[in-house]
Amino acid sequence: MIKLIGQRAIASVLSLLGLMVLVFFLSRLTGDPAVLFLPIDASEAMKAQFRALHGLDAPLIEQFGRYVLDLLQFDFGDSLRKARPAIDVVMEAYAWTLPLALITLCLVVVAAVVLGSLAAFNVGGFFDRMVSIVSLIGASAPDFWIAIVAIVLFSINLGWLPTSGVGTPLHWVLPIAVLFIRPFGLIVQVVRGSMLSALSAPYVKTARAKGVKNLPIIFIHTLRNAMLPVITVIGDQAAAMLNGAVIVETIFGFPGIGKLMIDSILQRDFNVVLAAIMVTAVAIFIMNMLIDVAYGLLDPRIRH
Amino acid sequence: MAQDNTAITVVLSEELDLVEPCMATRSNIGRVILQNISETLTELDVRGDKGLMPRLADSWEDKGDGTWQFKLHPGVTFSDGTTLDAADVKHSFDRVFSDQLTCESARYFADTALSFNIVDDTTIDITAVPAQPILPLLMSLVTIVPSETPMEFVRDPIGTGPYVMTEWTAGQQIVLDRREDYWGAQPEVSKATYLFRSEPAVRAGMVAAGEADIAPQITAEVADNTATDFSYLNSETVYLRVDGQDAPTSDIRIRQALNAAIDREAFIGTVLPTGTELAVAMVPPTTLGWNPDVAVPAYDPELAKKLIAEAQADGVDTSLPIEVVARTENFPNVTEVAEALVQMFNEVGFTATLRMVEVAEHEQYYSKPYPESEGTRLVLAQHDNSRGDPAFSMFFKYDSEGTQSGVNDPKVDDLIARASAATGDERAALWSELFAYVHDEIVADVLLFHMVGLSRVSERLDFTPTIATNQQLQLSEIGFK
Repeated sequence: MIKLIGQRAIASVLSLLGLMVLVFFLSRLTGDPAVLFLPIDASEAMKAQFRALHGLDAPLIEQFGRYVLDLLQFDFGDSLRKARPAIDVVMEAYAWTLPLALITLCLVVVAAVVLGSLAAFNVGGFFDRMVSIVSLIGASAPDFWIAIVAIVLFSINLGWLPTSGVGTPLHWVLPIAVLFIRPFGLIVQVVRGSMLSALSAPYVKTARAKGVKNLPIIFIHTLRNAMLPVITVIGDQAAAMLNGAVIVETIFGFPGIGKLMIDSILQRDFNVVLAAIMVTAVAIFIMNMLIDVAYGLLDPRIRH
Repeated sequence: MAQDNTAITVVLSEELDLVEPCMATRSNIGRVILQNISETLTELDVRGDKGLMPRLADSWEDKGDGTWQFKLHPGVTFSDGTTLDAADVKHSFDRVFSDQLTCESARYFADTALSFNIVDDTTIDITAVPAQPILPLLMSLVTIVPSETPMEFVRDPIGTGPYVMTEWTAGQQIVLDRREDYWGAQPEVSKATYLFRSEPAVRAGMVAAGEADIAPQITAEVADNTATDFSYLNSETVYLRVDGQDAPTSDIRIRQALNAAIDREAFIGTVLPTGTELAVAMVPPTTLGWNPDVAVPAYDPELAKKLIAEAQADGVDTSLPIEVVARTENFPNVTEVAEALVQMFNEVGFTATLRMVEVAEHEQYYSKPYPESEGTRLVLAQHDNSRGDPAFSMFFKYDSEGTQSGVNDPKVDDLIARASAATGDERAALWSELFAYVHDEIVADVLLFHMVGLSRVSERLDFTPTIATNQQLQLSEIGFK
């Protein structure tokens, strides 16, 4: 297991280095920040001054060299737009994205595993059909539409929840609820399908013959074997959430990494883009590592 | 939650990257800073017809040879307790022109060198080379900061305005509190909290739910309450920049045909909000020299076809492709507007296509040097001028040397030069002549619409948006019912 984690860590570091080079040069190909930062009627002299001020007039390879040297000291440079260290801007945003993603993910996993398992156990029954309908709606309904409808219903008409913002725990309810729906819809289907396979295995029949009750059969005997494909899907969904949730962040005024990244790309704020991608990549690599460990814990064949 | 007293909440469409006084001409920053935290020497009256009004300067006088003398209001203090003097004014301009930071206000003085002579604590002479007849107006664009302000972007702006920033939580909110020691009249609003939401439906919903008091920018789709929703001319003009050097648009008949092919009225109340006005100039009707005699080109597809046929008969290759380039999210329903324009051009016989691009790519087509094209490109663009004078528009858009100009006409260049150097009635007359000339005589471009903005204002407030609402939101103009 330790060896596996070590191998994964080395691969992750190499991937990060590759990503850094790729993003640096690709972002430079997308246009001149001076054009976007300055007004449209800014003189060429103003643009030249801006480039000089931010080191954008140096040859690309020199800019890259300087960037790598700074990175070795964990210095991502300053945000062009915000005139602050880019890493500070990114970490502030990530401090909002991370809890949003983790809380939502935990709720999704618990709800999907419990409901998916129960649906599989009652296959074809009313509960199973209800779970299937809800999951299909969840997996296919657009975030944007759900978010707006939720605001109109719960904030404007009923007045139960704030429309947006981050001031109190109540502010988190709608963003988490909207972010919950799609991954729940996907994962509950995978849990159900996987549990259906596991429940038809011979060892389940043996357990039933021995008189083991339904719930222990589901949650002790079967679940562990059914979880491998589920973990894969959870990993994908977790990675997507760690990238930020642009729609949810935009609508609910949630100052997370997704919206920051999109805004920074559009504004050619290179240092923020790079810092955001690196921080997000590290988070995703850690998440993947945890998924690998979970695989190992669930399936001894992987460990060995 | 919005308060039930004299504190208000304003929900803006975009967050502020900076709260830097020398960037106050950038609209998202200006809406918070301009005249609230930081003030200018002069101020343009956008609510009435007073023209240029005193702010930090009580008076100004043309001393000749490009020199203007400004008398500062005595006894004005900054929020740090220091007293405003002429040295602060000089330092504010030193910052604007410093090469250690990129201040937006500098662009208004692109080809003008300013020098300063401090006469005494409350008197300063400012000399412009070349002479600048609208120097007092330009003073309405530069915010004044104390001499101690460093030559870098600040995060805690010190100003002479009626409010001081007491909180800035990046990404979440900015709070301004009223200064009890403000030199001028005390405004009614005691505190303003600014929140940021990108989605117009959410901004409108926040006012409806009582979470905010003003949403300066909402869209027509969500403006459904006549008691709270106001439309106002927002100083933006939408037009198609035509390159007069390219075939086939180098022929005036083709440019006339483009204008005649468009049913401008059809856009209003459908894809553009009711209240949108048809444009006959690059600047809104509130601008000096705006010419009421210039008429909107009539929608006449038959005339357009006839003009194309005439040009074709004279050897103009009218089959050359015309690519309309438009910017995504430039204004609400920009894609639908651009698609309709292309459709109208094709209906009269042009070979037009549409390319939607994002802001950086749009800039490549909009500003010189223009990329090569097989036929020509028409750039759909939006230009903002709420400053009251055409000088902020006409050189850039119409002069042979103008960065976004598609015109190369000696008479236009001459009129721009003379109008820019003139004062008073002569200045207004020259601008007026220029507006008529570029629209009627050379048909320089396809002017389309003066756009409206839509604001939602809580019923507890006494506030009407103006043409300046795009750039500023003076809290002192807000009262309570």
